[in-house]
Amino acid sequence: MSENRSEPETGIPAVDASGLPDHVSEAEVLESAARERREKLLMFVTNWQGLTGLILVLLFFASAIFAPWLAPYEPNTLDIPARLSPPSLEHLAGTDQLGRDTFSRILYGGQVALKIAAIGVSVALLVGLVLGMIAGFGPRWLDNLLLLAFDTVRSFPTIVLALAMVALAGPSMGMVLIIVIVTSIPQYARVARTATLTLKNTDFILAERSLGASTIRTLWHHIMPNVVGPLMILAAMDVPVVVTVEAGLSFLGLGVLPPTASWGTILNEGYLVIRDAPWMVIAGGIPLILTTLGFTFLGEALRDIFDPRMGKGR
Amino acid sequence: MKHSGTTRRGFLASTAAIGAMGLMPALPTAGFAQAGSVLRLRLDGDNDILDPGYMSGGTEIEAQKQCLPFLAQYDRTEEGFDWAPTYFVTKLEQRDPTHIDFELAEGLVWSNGYGPVRASDVKFSYERMKGTDWSGYFDAMDHVEVTGERSGTIVLSEPFAPFIMITLCHGPGAVLCEQAVKDAGGEFTNEFPAVCGPYTYEAIPGQRVIFHANPDWAGPKPAFERIEANVISEVKAAELAFEAGELDCTEVGADTLARYTKNMPDNTEITVAGELQYMWMGMNTDHPKLQDIRVRKAIQRAVDVDSILQGAYSGTTSKSHGIICPGLIGNRDQSGYSYDPAEARALLEEAGVSGLELTLRTLNNQERMLAAQIIQANLGAIGITVKVLPVESGPYWEMGQESKGDTWKDLELWIMRFGTTPDPYEAAQWFVSDQVGKWNWERWTDPEFDRLYQEGIVETDPEKREAIYVRMQEIMEDTGAYLWINHEPEAFVHTTDIDVNAAPSGELNYRLFDKA
Repeated sequence: MSENRSEPETGIPAVDASGLPDHVSEAEVLESAARERREKLLMFVTNWQGLTGLILVLLFFASAIFAPWLAPYEPNTLDIPARLSPPSLEHLAGTDQLGRDTFSRILYGGQVALKIAAIGVSVALLVGLVLGMIAGFGPRWLDNLLLLAFDTVRSFPTIVLALAMVALAGPSMGMVLIIVIVTSIPQYARVARTATLTLKNTDFILAERSLGASTIRTLWHHIMPNVVGPLMILAAMDVPVVVTVEAGLSFLGLGVLPPTASWGTILNEGYLVIRDAPWMVIAGGIPLILTTLGFTFLGEALRDIFDPRMGKGR
Repeated sequence: MKHSGTTRRGFLASTAAIGAMGLMPALPTAGFAQAGSVLRLRLDGDNDILDPGYMSGGTEIEAQKQCLPFLAQYDRTEEGFDWAPTYFVTKLEQRDPTHIDFELAEGLVWSNGYGPVRASDVKFSYERMKGTDWSGYFDAMDHVEVTGERSGTIVLSEPFAPFIMITLCHGPGAVLCEQAVKDAGGEFTNEFPAVCGPYTYEAIPGQRVIFHANPDWAGPKPAFERIEANVISEVKAAELAFEAGELDCTEVGADTLARYTKNMPDNTEITVAGELQYMWMGMNTDHPKLQDIRVRKAIQRAVDVDSILQGAYSGTTSKSHGIICPGLIGNRDQSGYSYDPAEARALLEEAGVSGLELTLRTLNNQERMLAAQIIQANLGAIGITVKVLPVESGPYWEMGQESKGDTWKDLELWIMRFGTTPDPYEAAQWFVSDQVGKWNWERWTDPEFDRLYQEGIVETDPEKREAIYVRMQEIMEDTGAYLWINHEPEAFVHTTDIDVNAAPSGELNYRLFDKA
């Protein structure tokens, strides 16, 4: 196959049965892809921010998932005589006003954060992706309608929207999830829509359509794989936002219901006693900071590596 | 060309220097502290309606006390609270159970050229109140007789022992200028049509109210020439402002009170106005889940109130045994039940109830959320699952009112606090049969309670009144619908160089503040 079998008149490379141009072999393509993967992995491993991010994110997941085994105390057991104890070997992060072990509550609070982040972000991503592709690929009027809807939702400040919704329906974890999902759908949808629009008139899509592929097939097999990458990075960077929204709502008493521990409620309870027991606010703030840093570092590193426009020297 | 103006380095250096100066604690106070004749206080919000007939109370009453004449004022004694005539009157006497004679002091003049304060102003003000939102305070008053330019008699329709203490010492007892109110259209909102008192009133919405010395005032000079009351809605922010030296006096929350009591900062003192608040957990006796009195009694016995006082209130409040606050006639020193989880379990078993799930509604503030979580844990220990539902103040105060929606039907448990005045009748009035669906959210009725309430109003013998109010609280407790929690003090922190004057219900009276 080393012989160049391009069309003598047009110069367009001839294509063999595997669909590859005749001057590259399948093995070469695989080899090139593998090399690129190796390069990217190396880039990631040598990127200290990305690695730190990954470690922090893994820590976040592990601490939340294994909270029942890691926590030295039940998070909701009251011990009034030991209230507001300072950090000690017995209580690593001290105790709160009801004598509950703050460290255990932080670990269990991570579960709430993880649950909200995992469910909230993935549902928002999914719905946003589908709606965005429909907007980008569908008829003009549908696009306009959806855009109007996205921009309407986006124009509400999250906390104000949350305040109104909670005032109407009462606080609960489900409510926090709904707020998170509703407010983050539009940003995924808009990214997905833009990416779809740029793909819409590319040759391979036109070719696919001319062969009679259905809209669903085109979207699912050809557009989605090209759109989902940037969205995943966006999602990683969105996790800390979602975690802080939950913490913020819980801080305002609009999030999870007591006695469930959440980083926001720990911060709120700590705020009231900040002069007597400053460690509670510190202990409640550290996991929030680390999680935010972790996901942001990870997201940025992934973007640097996978987004060709960000690549240096290319 | 000569360069002048700011260079980048210069800018950085001066910014750093200014920042460093700001960190020095002594400088700002030194810069802002004014001559000792200014008193800096805190308001928890803007005063919306200064008209005593339509106000919400609180700091609006504080403003009325500075700018309007009152016939009587609270007097703190060893045993509790009493009343005394103010300097606006030369005479205030209860001639017989239904007649109160008064004579206004000479030389009292309304501002804006409305002339002297007359007895007819008193008549106008009090008879007008009967048709306003605060008419309850004047139910017992029939009319006011004017006997002279400055003298008159308040005539009660029936003997009403607490009239002077409850009505005349409190905001509703303010005297207005008849002509000025009529000129203003019959009522007024955020400006007094005419003032007579040591101070005039100037409000800057959202920022502060300034009380200037009243140039027309001929009475005794107050200790402070000027009072600046800053609008600070957050208690925490006000506490920080006090610590930073920006306020001379402010109310404090339970945890700060505990911290100060333990370790009082220099030049700081705490004055407790009174403990005229009573908090309890209510149970809806009409709710299917709570209809069985044994369930309610089990709940009464399952909650460890002492741990609420420690855990949520840092031990700064006194334990409650009823609706009558400490220092008042009829205050009880123990209740008929005590913390006993074993008995609670037995009662539940007897009632054949298991797997009970209840919702506990509470105002969304820190202390009450903590209290709710302790109740939740305590009830969990006897097998009752409690869902704590924090509610914002708007919907919270409407929950049990039939006129404000249907929440009263679903109401199960709630933490409630009422404030009161220094007479037991005021607290008792909210639980009579008429109040079911208004403020009696527990929804029980008892003919004996209603009868005792009427007897308590007309009875003048303190011992008999004591017996009446103790019995009324026993009746309430025996419904099983009440878990008494505490009496929260109204505590004010202030610098040692001022003496604070506060009404037992917590309103400050600036004109009676003094320099120590």
